[in-house]
Amino acid sequence: MSTGQATASSNGREARRRHLRTWPGTVGLLSPPLLWLILFFLIPIVIVAAYSVGALSLFPTTQGVSFFDWKHFLSGDSIYIGLFWKSVRMSLTVSVIVVLLAYPVGYFLALVSGKRKYVLLLLIIVPFLTSYLLRVLAWKVILGSEGIINTAVVTLGLRDADHPVQWLIYSQFTVILVLAYVWVPFVALPIFVTLENLDRSILEAAGDLGASRWRTFWRVTFPMSLPGVGAAFVFVFIPTIGEFVTPSLVGGTSGFMYGNAISDLFTQGLDWQTGSVLSLFLVVVVLVLMAIFGRFVQVRSAGAG
Amino acid sequence: MQAAASTNGRRSLVAFYWLLVVFLYAPILLLMIFSFNDSRDVAFPFRGFTLRWYHAFLTNPNLLAALRRSAIVATASSAIAVALGVLASFVLVRRRFVAKSAVSGLLLSPLVIPYLVFGIALLILFRAVDTFLTNTMGIYIGLGMHAIVIGHVVVSLPYAILTIVPRLELIDIALEEAGRDLGANARQTFRRITLPLLTPAVVSALLIAFTLSFDEYAIASFVAGDAATYPIYLYSQLRIRAGLPQMIAISVLVLVGSMVLVVATEVGRRRAERQLAVEETEGLLG
Repeated sequence: MSTGQATASSNGREARRRHLRTWPGTVGLLSPPLLWLILFFLIPIVIVAAYSVGALSLFPTTQGVSFFDWKHFLSGDSIYIGLFWKSVRMSLTVSVIVVLLAYPVGYFLALVSGKRKYVLLLLIIVPFLTSYLLRVLAWKVILGSEGIINTAVVTLGLRDADHPVQWLIYSQFTVILVLAYVWVPFVALPIFVTLENLDRSILEAAGDLGASRWRTFWRVTFPMSLPGVGAAFVFVFIPTIGEFVTPSLVGGTSGFMYGNAISDLFTQGLDWQTGSVLSLFLVVVVLVLMAIFGRFVQVRSAGAG
Repeated sequence: MQAAASTNGRRSLVAFYWLLVVFLYAPILLLMIFSFNDSRDVAFPFRGFTLRWYHAFLTNPNLLAALRRSAIVATASSAIAVALGVLASFVLVRRRFVAKSAVSGLLLSPLVIPYLVFGIALLILFRAVDTFLTNTMGIYIGLGMHAIVIGHVVVSLPYAILTIVPRLELIDIALEEAGRDLGANARQTFRRITLPLLTPAVVSALLIAFTLSFDEYAIASFVAGDAATYPIYLYSQLRIRAGLPQMIAISVLVLVGSMVLVVATEVGRRRAERQLAVEETEGLLG
């Protein structure tokens, strides 16, 4: 190929080449992405922590560093801790529903042979890759008091136009339904991957030893797929516990979640200190969950192994 | 797989699968159908076919401005995120260094941050920096598209790394060594050998980052300032009934566009992967 370069090399170029052998160093390559994350990800979170104890504040105050807001929040006097547990219940419900829906699909896809399984898998995943707001909007349009279901019911003469089905929208039910709808495609993937990678010969061995299919499933397949289920569970729970967009669109007052409280404290209440306490608490919850379930969540170790 | 399901069991699984597909697609299809409904209300009865909602958004300057902003933000943030992702992936796959697992943990950590909290943290950062700059130098940066780009790069970076690393692991290091033996320096080797082989992964990473940014609401809503992007504009219109039909029309267009893009990328990626596998086998045989 380009041998001209090699023949033309003078002593000076040779020296430069030797220098370039280590170009660019590991530190040089790694600093742009690391600096970006330190400046725009870690430092902002540290600043949130500073806000939460009043070391920084939105308006100049004479009050110094104080853990009062933290104590108030954690002691249970605050309304926000109750809201937090309500959101935990809602997120857990969503996670359970989503896993129950996605598991049979993952199981089915693992059974399908050949390339067809990837086409069928893609069919499930594609909605997840499309607009989140649009999918929420679709349900708002369907379930609204003058939405598709209610107007259909009225058109069919099943109900009076003045008495639409109320619980369809602006309730906890709606928030849970929509969140489950949004997250099902996402969860089908880790469950499928776990089931797909199971050692089939173990299942056959169970069958050969006389276990019924049902028994094989509950005693062998299901326990072995638990890591995938755990990963799926955490991957739904973490984003839904911090959710605020869906409840604000379809939740009304009864579907109000912890995330809405945080959002309101920053955009309407301007109580940034309480908001920071709530935000940082959410980060701590996520970190604890990752510490417990992180080993299930086999995000490819990105070359670390 | 005889041991996994009986004929009846298999049938129920097939039925369950297709029911879920209906559940996933029916709302989107309904929205598509009603985007052609000749009525201000998105509701039954269906009053006839019209394209006027598609015409309406073309003449809506606010919506077009928002779409333009989203396109700019998504282009900039995906380009930066993928450039940073290539650097990070290269180091993670090809170099050994201390604290590697800590570094890869940090690089992937934006995957688990609630976007709400991250958006707020960025807002507070900009506020703190502006307070400092105004007091010391009289400069004011403020919020806007640059702030959204910064945030979207952070959350796209892990996806870029997770897309590029597996591909880089597939590229035979012997190819790079051969380049070096033939007299290419590290920069040339990277430019002429590694990067071309990485192209399919780089393209998918760009598309993933672009679609993530284009659709992202939570972070953008806190740091956009006056620069409303498409999701922010869409969200603001969802509360006003009159604007709904044309928002549905534009959303349907964006949705169809992104679905086509996603499927095309996936097909392209698989083809490239097969090609690389074939090249490697031929290399072994030759």
